[in-house]
This record gives sequence, C-alpha cells and structure tokens, in this order.
Amino acid sequence: MTQVLDKPVSLKAPVSPAERTARRRAVLQWIAVHSLGVAAALFFALPFVFVFLTSLMSDSQALSRDLIPHTWEWSNYRQVFDTPGFLTWWKNTLIYAGLGTVLTVASSVPVAYALAKFRFRGRNLSLMLVISMMMLPPQVVIIPMYLFWAKQLDLSGTLWPLIIPMAFGDAFSVFLLRQFLMTIPNEYLDAARVDGCGELRTLVRVVLPMARPGIAAVALFQFFYAWNDYFGPQIYASENPGAWTLSYGLESFKGAHHTDWNLTMAATVLVMAPVILVFFFAQKAFVEGVTLTGVKG
Amino acid sequence: MSTLTTSTPAAAARPAGLAAKRRRSALKTLAFMSPGLIGFAVFFAYPLASTVYFSFMHYDGFKPPTWSGTKNWTYVFENYPLFWPALRNTLWLVVVMVTLRVLFGLGVGMLITKIKTGTGVFRTLFYLPYLAPPVAATMAFAFLLNPGTGPVNSLLEKTGIPAPGWFNDPTWSKPALTLLALWGVGDLMVIFMAALLDVPTEQYEAAELDGASPWQRFRYVTLPNISPIVMFAVVTGVIQTMQYYTQPLIAGKVASGVIQGAGTQFEPGYPDKSTLTLPQLVYNLGFQRFDYGSACVVALVLFALSMVFTAFLMRRRGGLIQAGD
Amino acid sequence: MPEVSRKAAIALAASASIALFATACTGQSNSGANDDASKETAINFWHAWSAPNEVAAVKSLIAGFEHAHPNIHVNVVGNMTDDKINQALRTGGDKAPDVISSFTTNNVGKFCSSGALIDLNPFFKKAGIDAQATFPKAMNEYTQFDGDRCTVPLLGDAYGLYYNKTAFAKAGIKNPPKTWSEFEADAKKLTIPQGDGYRQLGFMPDYHGWETTTEHYFAQFSPTYFGPGGKSDVARDPAFEKGFTLQKKLVDELGGFQKLERYRATLGDEWGPKHPFHTGQVAMQLDGEWRLGMAVDAKPKFDIGVAPLPVPDDQADQYGKGYITGTVAGIAATSHKQNAAWEFVKYITTDTDAVVGFANDIHNVPSTLAALKSPKLKYDPRFKTFLDIAANPNSTTSPASINGGQYLVTIQQFGYDYESGKEKDLKAGLARTARQIDTDIAQAK
Repeated sequence: MTQVLDKPVSLKAPVSPAERTARRRAVLQWIAVHSLGVAAALFFALPFVFVFLTSLMSDSQALSRDLIPHTWEWSNYRQVFDTPGFLTWWKNTLIYAGLGTVLTVASSVPVAYALAKFRFRGRNLSLMLVISMMMLPPQVVIIPMYLFWAKQLDLSGTLWPLIIPMAFGDAFSVFLLRQFLMTIPNEYLDAARVDGCGELRTLVRVVLPMARPGIAAVALFQFFYAWNDYFGPQIYASENPGAWTLSYGLESFKGAHHTDWNLTMAATVLVMAPVILVFFFAQKAFVEGVTLTGVKG
Repeated sequence: MSTLTTSTPAAAARPAGLAAKRRRSALKTLAFMSPGLIGFAVFFAYPLASTVYFSFMHYDGFKPPTWSGTKNWTYVFENYPLFWPALRNTLWLVVVMVTLRVLFGLGVGMLITKIKTGTGVFRTLFYLPYLAPPVAATMAFAFLLNPGTGPVNSLLEKTGIPAPGWFNDPTWSKPALTLLALWGVGDLMVIFMAALLDVPTEQYEAAELDGASPWQRFRYVTLPNISPIVMFAVVTGVIQTMQYYTQPLIAGKVASGVIQGAGTQFEPGYPDKSTLTLPQLVYNLGFQRFDYGSACVVALVLFALSMVFTAFLMRRRGGLIQAGD
Repeated sequence: MPEVSRKAAIALAASASIALFATACTGQSNSGANDDASKETAINFWHAWSAPNEVAAVKSLIAGFEHAHPNIHVNVVGNMTDDKINQALRTGGDKAPDVISSFTTNNVGKFCSSGALIDLNPFFKKAGIDAQATFPKAMNEYTQFDGDRCTVPLLGDAYGLYYNKTAFAKAGIKNPPKTWSEFEADAKKLTIPQGDGYRQLGFMPDYHGWETTTEHYFAQFSPTYFGPGGKSDVARDPAFEKGFTLQKKLVDELGGFQKLERYRATLGDEWGPKHPFHTGQVAMQLDGEWRLGMAVDAKPKFDIGVAPLPVPDDQADQYGKGYITGTVAGIAATSHKQNAAWEFVKYITTDTDAVVGFANDIHNVPSTLAALKSPKLKYDPRFKTFLDIAANPNSTTSPASINGGQYLVTIQQFGYDYESGKEKDLKAGLARTARQIDTDIAQAK
C-alpha cells in the first residue's frame, strides 16, 4: 500500500472509477497518517515549547497559568550563567564527558576487536560476561566501589572515580563495537595480514578507518551517558561543589531557586541544548548506533 | 577468565612451530583483551564479591565491619519498610510502563515508516526527547505536570477534564513517570523503524494479493518478522526498569518541595512511597542510613533480578552473541 | 548455552573468592590532636546555611576568627546536608571537613556513638572552660550522648507561631490562640476559599509543609520518645496519639488532605522571599525564630505577630513552651588538625562577642548564657518570644538516638499515612511505628 504513496498524487487526467477510489483512498490515508504524525509531533514537541516559553517569563508569571510570556525576559539566561558555579559545572561536565569518551573508545576498541575477530577459547564466555556487565545496574557494586575510591584512594569529591574506570573498557561500548566489527569482512583483515601487518597495525590501518561509524556511535553514546549521569556525581562529587556536573548542579539549582521556575527552566534549557546541538551534527551516526544495539545482533 | 590462554588466529595455521605460534597468539589475545580483563576484575568481579561479603557484615563506615550472619537479610526482607513497596512499584512499572513503551514505540515506528512528507523533520522531533538529560527532562515534567500551576493542568481544567495530582498524588505518580518514559520513546522508535523497513516487501505484496486486511498483514507478515525485536525491546525495557533511578528520585524531590533544603534529609519515594525503586533503596540504606550491609543485600536482589532477565535475553536471542565468522 | 553459563558461574565464583581477601581492609586513617595550632595552617569547615544573608553571616563570623587567629585559615563549604556530612566523615582525607556543623541535633547520637566526631571534654578541660556554666541546660544536654560531648551548641532554635495580625483583625480575632481548640477555630475563621484552592489559608497543617513536622507539633504535648530500656514509647505515651489526632483534625477541617496538598504545590518555598506566610497566602505559620528576620526582610503588606505555639487544653498552664533544637558543631575524628579545629570551634561557640554577632546576623537564639545576657544582643522586640521559649523549662527537644534521626523519619512517615487517610487505625499504626523504630535501632547496633 505504500507504493501508491510513492507517486505524487495528481488529480488531473481522466481515470477509471476503480483507479479513482484507489486514489481517494490514498489521499485519505495520507491525511490520516499525517494528522497522526502531527498529533504525535505535538506530544513530543510541546514540552520543549512550554519549557522554553517558561524560561523567558518573569518569575511572578512563571507561577501563573498563562502560557505566553507577557514580557520576554532574556536576562533569565544571563542570571543562570551568573549563578556561582554554573560555569564550573559546564567545565566539569565537559571534562567528564570528553575525557571519559576518549578513554572509553581507546580502551574498548582492542577488546571489541579481539572479541569480534580473534578465535580463542573462552570467547563466548567473555562475551557473555560483557553482556552481564552491560546489564549490571551501577547501584549493585556502588558500596564497595565507593569505599574503594573514597577510603583507599581518597578520591571522593572528584570525578576521577567516574573517569578512571573508563580507561578499562566499557561493556556497552565493547558490545556495540564488537557488533559493528563483526560486519567487516575477514578478507580485508587477511589481506592486511598477508601484507605482513601485525594485529596492531591491522587494527589501526585497516579496521579503524572502516569502523569509523561504529566508533562515532560509541563515542556519542558515551558522551551522552556522562553528560546525563546523575547517580555517579551524586555519589562521588556531591560533597564538593567544585566537582559538580551540570546534571547534578541542575538539581541543586532548583534547590537554591525553589519556585523560580523561570530560572530553573532556563537552566534546564541550557543543560538540554548542547545534547540537542550535538545530535543535529551527528544524527546519522546516532541513529545507526541505536539500530546497532538492537537489530544487527 | 583463565580459559583465555589457548587460541588460534583466524588465519590458517601451519604445522611448523605450532606451539610457539599458539603461545604468541595467546599473548596477543591477552594483550588486546587486557583493558577489559582489568576492568572486569576491578570494577565487576571484585566489587561484586565484596558486595556479597558486606551483605553478611554489620558495617557503618566508622567501626571495622563485624560478622552479622543473615541479620541484614532478615532486616531487609522483613523489617525494612521501603523494600516491598519498591518491589511492588517495580512490578507495576514492568507491567504498565514497559508494555506501553513498547506498544507506543512500535506505533510511532510504524507511523514514521508511513509518513512520506517531511519524514526527516518528524523523525527528528520524535527522537529528540530521548536525548533530553533525565534530570532536565524530569524537572521539566515536574513543572509541566505541577497540579497547581503547570500548563498541562491549566489546559485540562479549561477543557473541563478533572486534572490529576500527577507527581503529588500516589495513584498518579507512576502514570506521570510513564508519560515521561513515553515521551522519551525515541530509542525504541528507531529500532522498530529499522526492523519494519527490513521486512521483505514481497511478503506484503503476496499478502495483498491474497486479499489480506491491514490487520491480517500486520498479524501475519509484520509481527512474525519483527517479533525478535519486540522481545529485545521488552527484555531490555525490563532491565532498564530495574535500574530506574534518576527520574523517580528527581520527580519525588521536586514535587515534595523538600529538594536539597538546608539540612533536611529527603526520604525517597514521595508521594507515599509510590516512586520508590530498588536503586533508590541502595542509596537510602547506604548513603543516608549508612547501613552498608543492608544496602548490599538490596544491591544483590537488584543484581539477581537483572541477571535473570539478562540470561533470558541471551537465551532467547542467540543472535545477540552470535558466534561470529 | 547452559554449558557456557555454568562456566560463567564458575569463573564468577573463582574471582569472587579471590576478591574476598582484598575486601577486609577498611582503612582506618590515623589521626589525632597532634597538630600545632599556632603554626600556619588551614582547616575545612562545612555548614548547612544557604540563604544569602546566612552565608554573609558565616563569612563575617569567619573573618572575626581569622582576625583573632591569623595563622589559621578557614575554607568554608556551605549548603551541606547531613547526608553529605555523614558521608564525608566516613571517608576523611584532605578535602573532608575538619569542623562540621549540622542544623539538627538528630544525628548527635550517631555522631557520638560511632566516634565520627571526637569527644570534646578533654579540650574543654585543657582550655579551662566549664561547659555546664557556659551553655544553657537544654543545649548542654542535646549536644551530648551517653556522657560523650561530641558536639557543641552553635546558636539555638526555638519554634513558635507566626501570625498575620492584619488578617487576624479582619477576621475579628483579638489575640493569638493559646490552646489548640482556639487555634482550630481561628484557623477555620482565617481560611477563605477561592475556586478549588484558597485566597487565604488559615494554616498549612500538612507534615510536608516544611516546619510542620511531627516532632515540632508533638513538643507541645511534651512527649517521651523512649522509655526505660531504650524502647520506643510512641505507642504508650498518649502525647503521640493526641498529636496525630490534632493534626488530622486540622487537615480535615481546613479542606482535606487532597485539597491542601494541591494548594501546597502552588506555594513558594521555605527559604525564599515568596514564602506563603510572607505573601499572605497562609495566615499562621509554625516556624523557627529565624522566620522573623526573613519575614521582615520580605517586607510583607501586613503586621507580623509572634507568639508561642498553642498547648493542649488540659495543659493550659504550660503555655509558653515549644520545640527547641539548635545547630551543633563538632570536630571530625578523621581530621589531622584537631587542635586548630578546636581553636575554631572554641571561638565560634564560646566567644561571647562572636556568638552575639552571629546570632544578630542570622537571627537565631544565642547559645551561651553570657551571650543571652549580652547588651550587644540586638533583636526585634518580637524576638524576645523565642528567647523565652528557649528558656522555658517545659520546652523539649527530640532525644539523641544511636541511629540518628531515623526514628523521627519513621514517625513522620507514619504521619504521611495517617494524614492522607491511608492508615485509619491510629492505635495499630502507632504500635507498628514503635516496632519499626525498635527494629531499626536493633539493626543499627
């Protein structure tokens, strides 16, 4: 039935009655599908719209029931930026997300490569463990991990307990990369090996260039994971405002500004905006990555 | 992990120097796997074993841990007032939220494959909410659904529909969280979209020739083709629900009005324990009551539940860990 | 597949048993009072104050100290909840606090019994300060647990009733209520409904309404929280039953739980200028002495009245009592600079001018006998009400317990169930609450 829609609907030229019914049905269907689409789009978009509008209201109006700002208070955004610590939260989030992403990719690629392309006993077992780790809620091991970082290494009040582990392979990234590397035909690797490349050279010269989309997807996911992480900073960084991230700071921002919903929503917009911007620049890699998690397995 | 030692390279092995070659390739495997092996040992095996150990210890962080047998276990299962409500909430979320999310994701995925005009715009719009950082998204919803001043209830009241209390009402707090989860359905939409586009067109054409109704086509062509993906969505949804932490915590904090106030301790679950989930209990026991032992008990329950569903996932979808070449 | 998962289980078990050996080390850092407080040094001070005027007051208090002790520099971290303080006290380290202050006395029992904060008795002795003669009696008590003085009072809080005099006049009420039945009548008279909310609410009774917590109500009934043997008395002492009944009656008569909660969601916040009492949305407020300064600063369009909270009708002779508590300060056991820390604690808690200055800035009740009598103490005449409540012999606080304020959380949790109507049987609920408190304490031991 979709084929009908592929052709532009034109209403001229004489047509048989049967064809006319078919065409009418196609038009009706087009209308039905697109009105549903618009309804869904409203559901997905309106929260953003309301948040954005509220972020531009005066504080007294934000508690009222009017939806459109009476006066457009762009200064709300300046006020958020002027909040003590706000820029520090940005800096910390960028460090956590940026450094974490680099470390994750660097440490996950070799593991994923071995899992995808080496044959060794215990490979399936390793893979199962990777999946188990991927599904492990962080809260399961938080008590010993916290005691380890805070008591043994005196690193509470910093983001290092969250960044350092990323240098030792992230299960989800390993899994995703392995799924991607599986799709690279072995012939390419064999050709490189025949040319006398070692495994490391093969990985760097042949596999990495081909795996770029997969790596991009992993990097994006990891970046977003760190950007959005609340639990990690809550455990390790909460005691030191100098180490707060945006996600954690946003909550305390709400705590300090209470019912100044306009300011809180302006801060919310500022936390959401970078994620959305990154998405627009890397949409393709992202969608590919999501698909990879579920479909190509 | 000791099973990693012997291995053969993908390339054909020659009989000469086989042992040496084997050893070299074992070393190579070990080298490539090493970040993962260290990560596994330090950030998975060690803390997991440690969690088991602490679950039998009385430990408050000040005095050295002392053996307490099954005391923590009995306390959590019989006397900790938040445990069963949290488990019940998780069950509710698994049944209602996961189901609705899968159905809605499938629906939106089908819709997007049918939309022919402005597909890119629609797809982006549908997907974006999934990316909204959970803290920000939850605060936005807590504002939108504020029973007194939020725009949603203003609209509802204008239309005369009785407006619920959302995050301030124990019977509506989980539906409100579900709404939030449906808003962020973008990941499932993309997965279903890809799966739907993979269904061979010939099958639809054949069905149409047989005079199948749209429902029959969905039932006998679409569904069998995408059922592995549906299963995947359900099981990962269940596992995500076990880990559900940030959204219910923030929603409860913001709605209760006692958000990070000076000196005040926020007991999670507002309103009336209706937003409690197991991970919040780990936080409550471990980082508010500082009963590390009992916190580890809850952590292990969480672990067991997650692993049951993970095993299910691996079993039902051998493809997820397909043997490869 | 089953074969592989069995292997996984074996591998797990193997690594588990290895890791077991590694867990036992819990790292007790060696610390103590060996530092030289006359040398150049820096200490960390964590506090919970967050309102701008409060943060400024802390700043000037620190400035006073650094002026008197130029060699000790104080790093201040504000807005720290007890959760975070508790967490940091367990880990220690360079960034961890040397001196902490907490808004409630709830955790004193935990701080002392666990050894998180050091016993300050030896320091008092060495400094030649008699704590008994320095602090008021009640404050002296709530800063100790089983003879262990691990905290020192740092200003005190007393709870009373704020009322909107203008609204009272409009409603034809002459005096603030002295008994709960008068209070009930007044609250109803002051309530003006509007739509499905209120134009003016007489009183917000809900337990989630900031200071209207169970322990603040119950102090008016002079309850006994723990009987001999340390068992919870919640089900035995009739004070609790009366307290719960009173609050539930207020909830029901002022519009019912649903309606009140919905109204509460529209209100401003506790620490900002849009507090519903400031805005006139609520005519009476149960609150601490600090509210007066905040309310005056918010420049409301009405006259602010202050009085002690009402008492039960059969205790009319005890009118004037109230809930008292206070901020406490202590020195972390993990601190390596305990002598320098003591100099700081000594200054902020016992130096009369420092205490008076801080009390003036932050609008709290001073916590030393000398400061209470100091002519430098500046206060609004209405503030005297709180000084009197603090000095009233019938005023009470909630006692220290080994697991901190957990028992208060449990009582409050039951309060939520009872006010919402989820729990109808008060007696059974109280019995259950008492059992819960007892098992929680047993679990903490």
